[in-house]
Amino acid sequence: MSTGEESHRSIRLIEPACTSCMICARECPTWCISIDSHAEAMKGLPSGSRQRTENVLDRFAIDWSLCMYCGICIEECPYDALEWVGDLTEPGFVAESLVEVMVAQRR
Amino acid sequence: MTDVPLEGWLDAVEALQAEGFDYFDWLGCVDEIGRRDCLRIVLVVRSLSRQAEPRTLSCSLPRDNARLDTVQGVFAGAAWHEREAAELFGVEFVGGERRRLLLNPEFEGTPLRKDEVLAARTGLYWPGAKEPGESDVSPGRRRLEPPGVPEPAVWGDRDASQPAPGPAEVADSAVGGRPRRRRT
Repeated sequence: MSTGEESHRSIRLIEPACTSCMICARECPTWCISIDSHAEAMKGLPSGSRQRTENVLDRFAIDWSLCMYCGICIEECPYDALEWVGDLTEPGFVAESLVEVMVAQRR
Repeated sequence: MTDVPLEGWLDAVEALQAEGFDYFDWLGCVDEIGRRDCLRIVLVVRSLSRQAEPRTLSCSLPRDNARLDTVQGVFAGAAWHEREAAELFGVEFVGGERRRLLLNPEFEGTPLRKDEVLAARTGLYWPGAKEPGESDVSPGRRRLEPPGVPEPAVWGDRDASQPAPGPAEVADSAVGGRPRRRRT
């Protein structure tokens, strides 16, 4: 459910902007963000160049039972990959169901 | 910022008020452990009647005997700020309001002193311990440590034959980040 207006009801990941740098997970005062990622060889490099790797995001989850909506992760993200949205988080009957997995693409 | 000795604190605040800085802005506290064994109280007052930069007073208190005269008699609004500093930093404002402002009456400890250990977190898994590109924390590396949780060698798993760690040692080991190589 969205109110259609800008408000601070939950936090959304803008997946293409995320580089899995871990800064949000480390800055979070409530330890509610968990990130899995893996390194992959970069494609499309000019021939003859050194082999390079990039980090690929596998899983990004926010535990809404821990989050206190302080917005520090949004402030700290150097790639602007997190933003406030007006959507309410899903209710749940047990704490585990409040973990919202925003990216889940296991290899 | 003007440093004021402990015993001249109330006089200095009254003098500023008499000078026309009669609008109390805020009062705060800083734990300066690691630099000096002190808590620093900072007070900012403004003048609304004339164009002047706000004036800042500060006063250093020894951490093990943090007592300071209250300025509630000069600025009644300072009471909230003093009560907050009192419970979060363990400062006693002599002659001031002693009721708690934010914490439970049963709560013990001084949460904003830097040697305060977040004991409940020492046994928890920190999601920030992973490096970018990792799904599991790889062992044997110089892993990042979360802030507020001291190294087990300093607090928790300390060698029983060693003396108890001092506040400066606990605070220094709980800053988070990559553990430095320690001199033994």
